[in-house]
Amino acid sequence: MSSTPIEHTAQVAQQTVLVVDDEPTARVALAARLTRLGYRVIQAGDGKAGLEALRRERPDLTILDWMMPELDGPAFCERVRQDPELMTSQILMMTSHDQPEQIAEGLARGADDFLSKAASKYEITARVQAGMRAATLIRRLEDVTEEIRRKQEVLERELQSAARYVESLLPTQGTLLPGVQMVHAYRPSLGLGGDLFNVVPWSDDVLGLYLLDASGHGVSSALRSASFSTFLRREGLLHHVGSNDPGAILTEANKQFPLTEDGNYFTIIFARLNVLERRLSFATAGHNGAFLHRRSGEVCWLARPNLPLGFDGSTTYVTEDLPVEPGDRLYLLSDGLYEVPGVSGELWGQERLEQTVRTFGSCPLNDVVSGTLAEAVRWQGHEQFPDDVALMGIEVGLRVSHE
Amino acid sequence: MAMQTKERPVPNGVVLEMTGDLTYANREQFKAAVEAIRQKGCRHLILNMAEVRFVDSSGLGLLALVSQNFKLSQGKVSMLKPQSYVREIMSLANIQKLIPVYDNEQDAVAGQQRAA
Repeated sequence: MSSTPIEHTAQVAQQTVLVVDDEPTARVALAARLTRLGYRVIQAGDGKAGLEALRRERPDLTILDWMMPELDGPAFCERVRQDPELMTSQILMMTSHDQPEQIAEGLARGADDFLSKAASKYEITARVQAGMRAATLIRRLEDVTEEIRRKQEVLERELQSAARYVESLLPTQGTLLPGVQMVHAYRPSLGLGGDLFNVVPWSDDVLGLYLLDASGHGVSSALRSASFSTFLRREGLLHHVGSNDPGAILTEANKQFPLTEDGNYFTIIFARLNVLERRLSFATAGHNGAFLHRRSGEVCWLARPNLPLGFDGSTTYVTEDLPVEPGDRLYLLSDGLYEVPGVSGELWGQERLEQTVRTFGSCPLNDVVSGTLAEAVRWQGHEQFPDDVALMGIEVGLRVSHE
Repeated sequence: MAMQTKERPVPNGVVLEMTGDLTYANREQFKAAVEAIRQKGCRHLILNMAEVRFVDSSGLGLLALVSQNFKLSQGKVSMLKPQSYVREIMSLANIQKLIPVYDNEQDAVAGQQRAA
């Protein structure tokens, strides 16, 4: 910004007043007085020309005569207040007979203040200054609002880019191992989720599967989840844990990821599927969203009362084994899927979720996953989940031999 | 629902009467109330949960954090009379392993005395 020698005059000179009056003598006299006070003055001889000048010049203040042919003062004000671009203009209405009813009408129709034609030079100066103060405040408010909007846009773009990154971490659907199919659905609540799931390919017959939930929402939980998912890669596990045993993995992760200073933490289920031995091994840390839907129809929840990660560094997480048969399906999910409140406030709950999956029976896995999500949406009555929602379905198919 | 807290001294400890939900929205208030008690040198914090209807995942994390912080200053945290829904959330996450749960105040206070 360039500096000017006479600061006060310069500041006043930047402010513009539009004078709208069909009576030339009065208009010119007022314009001259305002010019002497240091304002830039624009004149208009009727309401229509006044509106055009207002739109073109965007003056800080408009001084408007009440009585004018065609478009009079109050009608002028109404036009301004209905126009989104002009509506915040400051208008000072002039009148020769200032009865209270008339003033009330003028204010009701959109004037900001009144000036009697009989007003002294001091009153005119004071009212114009008051109008300018209001105009300055409104301008500042508009500027700040615009700045916030621009910053918000930048932030949202950043969030979208981070969300795309998180989604790029998710596994590809389809065949994981010969005969093992996987389908998933992912609905982060804020665009950027703290729930993450993945597949850890281990060998021709063995793979790891996990679903984790970082407490909290948004950027910080997504960052923590992304960092945890790096730890859970095959190389990370070999380096830090030295095995693919679910209990050993969670026991080590519990040491690596303590509670944050805000008390944030992870819950997780880690499962290992060995298709050759037809065995599912798993360990959980505070995570209750996992069940096995057997081909026989039996449903077996894998939830165990265990501390979430980071709650107690000395915890040992234990691996459990379950036999699996071709046609069995494993579902890993975030609690956000079943903790959705319905219209009455009642949660959808694990039992209804289980019943939904049972009803689908042996429909294609894809239909079960999308249908289950649709059922949760139907329960809550809208599309937007209050919490992150992830659902991964894995079907153990008939073993295809290596020969 | 907002949270209100009130502290009351008992032999060898402080009971924090809590009213409202222990959730993400109320985390700062809860943390401040508990931290004030810890800094006064309290060795046994008894959280009276009788008037707490709901604990969310953030609330669970705060309970673990408070328990860890008290342990660091050679203190401990107990819980009094959680409502059934809250009790269920606690047991799913096995919180009673960190924070013993009592059904009456005398037992909670005595729990500390036995430990001492």
